[in-house]
Amino acid sequence: MPRSPLRPPRLLRTASFRLAALYLVLFSASAVVLGGAVFWMTHESLIQQMQSRVRAAEGHFAEADQKGGAAALVEHVRKYARGAGALDYLVQSPSGARLAGQLPMIGARRGWLHLTATDQDGTKPVLAYAEQLPDGVVIAVGDDLSRVHRADDAVLRAVALSIAVTILLGGVGGIWLSRVFLHRVDAMSRTAEAIIDGALGQRIALRGSGDDLDRLAETLNRMLDRIEKLLAGVREASNNIAHDLRTPLSRLRQHLEEARGRSGSVADHERALESAKAEVEALLGTFAALLRIAEVEAGAQRAAFCRVDLSAVAETVAEAFAPSAEDEGHRLTADVAPGISVHGDKELLTQMLVNLVENALRHTPRGTEVRLSLARQGRQAVLAVTDNGPGVPAAEQEHVLRRFYRLDESRTTPGSGLGLSLVAAVAELHGGTLRLEDARPGPHGGALRLEDARPGPHGGALGLEDARPGLRVSVTLATVGDAGLSVIEGNQLAG
Amino acid sequence: MKILLIEDDQETADYVARGLRQQGHTADHAANGRDGLFQAGDAPYDVLVIDRMLPGIDGLSLVRTLREAGIRTPVLFLTALGGVGDRVRGLDAGGDDYLAKPFAFAELLARVNALARRPPLVDVQTVLRVADLEMDLLRRAVTRAGKEIDLQPREFQLLEYLLRNAERVVTRTMLLEAVWDFHFDPRTNIVETHISRLRSKLAQGGGAELIHTVRGAGYALRAPVPVAPA
Repeated sequence: MPRSPLRPPRLLRTASFRLAALYLVLFSASAVVLGGAVFWMTHESLIQQMQSRVRAAEGHFAEADQKGGAAALVEHVRKYARGAGALDYLVQSPSGARLAGQLPMIGARRGWLHLTATDQDGTKPVLAYAEQLPDGVVIAVGDDLSRVHRADDAVLRAVALSIAVTILLGGVGGIWLSRVFLHRVDAMSRTAEAIIDGALGQRIALRGSGDDLDRLAETLNRMLDRIEKLLAGVREASNNIAHDLRTPLSRLRQHLEEARGRSGSVADHERALESAKAEVEALLGTFAALLRIAEVEAGAQRAAFCRVDLSAVAETVAEAFAPSAEDEGHRLTADVAPGISVHGDKELLTQMLVNLVENALRHTPRGTEVRLSLARQGRQAVLAVTDNGPGVPAAEQEHVLRRFYRLDESRTTPGSGLGLSLVAAVAELHGGTLRLEDARPGPHGGALRLEDARPGPHGGALGLEDARPGLRVSVTLATVGDAGLSVIEGNQLAG
Repeated sequence: MKILLIEDDQETADYVARGLRQQGHTADHAANGRDGLFQAGDAPYDVLVIDRMLPGIDGLSLVRTLREAGIRTPVLFLTALGGVGDRVRGLDAGGDDYLAKPFAFAELLARVNALARRPPLVDVQTVLRVADLEMDLLRRAVTRAGKEIDLQPREFQLLEYLLRNAERVVTRTMLLEAVWDFHFDPRTNIVETHISRLRSKLAQGGGAELIHTVRGAGYALRAPVPVAPA
């Protein structure tokens, strides 16, 4: 947006300043209303006091007049008019002549009157009440209004002062608040700009006050952490892709050069081409795995989720792999609770389980036992593949889920280092949790132990303590509904 | 066999067509959906091999249109999209099989053969037979030369698939899909081990080898040459 020269300064355009200004107007208005009310009520109450005093005195004089006639009244008035702070009087004969008192003549006017009296201090406004007594004499009693006016002025001054203070404090406070707010928002924008410019490690500074801006900053920082982690993951993955694909590609070139260059026999050519083809197939496998992971992470399959009989999947996988495992000198056993269903994608869950089993078979030495188990735990299904192989050091456990990550010991075995990444992605797609832990019994050991399940006289304690750490990889998923239907399906399959 | 290949990538089309012709088939090629639809509707083909992504009319719509027109020719989809959802959509649209690129020609050939000779649905067989091997689908029993062979359920399924496709090559992936419902390629040779177990069970009472390994392609269940297939 082009900056108009007529726009007010930034400070005045901040949300907090506008809010402060709005509050200022509201507070000032309420102070004015409040002050007006105080003024009016004070004034009225003073006037009322004055009126009742005037009426009381007037009643007193009327009584004197009734008892002693006009002469007694005049006497009375003279006596009362002498004291300090005394009321002002006027006694007027029926013919309209002044008999006593200093109040100006009132003629034929009666009732409440505003008069101006003159005495030794000068003129003063007077509120007077005039009445004609039964004998025709007119008596007027008045009180000095200037006292009320002085009180009015005092109240007005107090109100004006408080409004002024309100405006001053509100204005200063609003500007101060806005500056603080602006300062912090500026800090956030500076951080954002720095991140845009590539300093991904930058974070918004917190004040530690835990206020809403701090909380916002905290949330933004967490988001930035996540983004940084994702970006690091992407960067690492692309580096790894480049690195991990270069090796098989250069081997492929060697094979092709061998096939072309050397004037060997037909069998030599064929062997070189065969090796080249194997390299290409491994590369295609790696790409397929990468695409699969990307596809799973995109999460589009979630729309096609349906009820999957996880028990049947586990049985199928265990049964499919048992002969191969045996041929390779492993033992694959299954302990699958029947009738456990989850909401998910059957194919991906199958592949996840296959990857877990293959991972265990591939990375453990001959003679290792691998156990596939599926158990119900409350409303959750715990799918686990446990082996009693060499295990994975605790420090490495977190890394093996990363793409292309391979333990040093596994560098020589074929594989892309993507198997467990896919497992992690599928588990996440299904809202499950993936856990890697030592399978060795102990304080941190899993609930399922190979040794415990080993039947026969040699099972149990023997070899329990000195067992290799082993690895237990488990995925916990939420189960669905009643298992009745799945049990029937399972039986049909078995039949 | 007369095969129509609808594929816009000239190199893939040449490769596939050349391979099919070498196998003695007649292979026609259409380079876009419109021509493909026209040709498929015009001449009788045994199998259609159709790319999913085509200029003009895309593969899915093409097959849907063919099916609506009552053309029941088996369709094999070829695609660079190998995702789960893609395969399901392809089969829903009326495709009969699905092959993700990149593929080996042997795989394509085996699948085309399987599609072309798929027995009509009305022909309900209860006994499958090759040479002296007999499978009774009702009793779920297998005998060789009259002697009963005890098979695991999965071995039974494996043998049934081989018998239904007797005399032709089935690939590892076809077996993985049909027997285990695995639509991905495990690195472990589970097909090989199951086949080898099945072989040894079939060979218990002597008799010639029936399950042959076809190098670079897969397996084929064949009657020994001197004995005419039943």
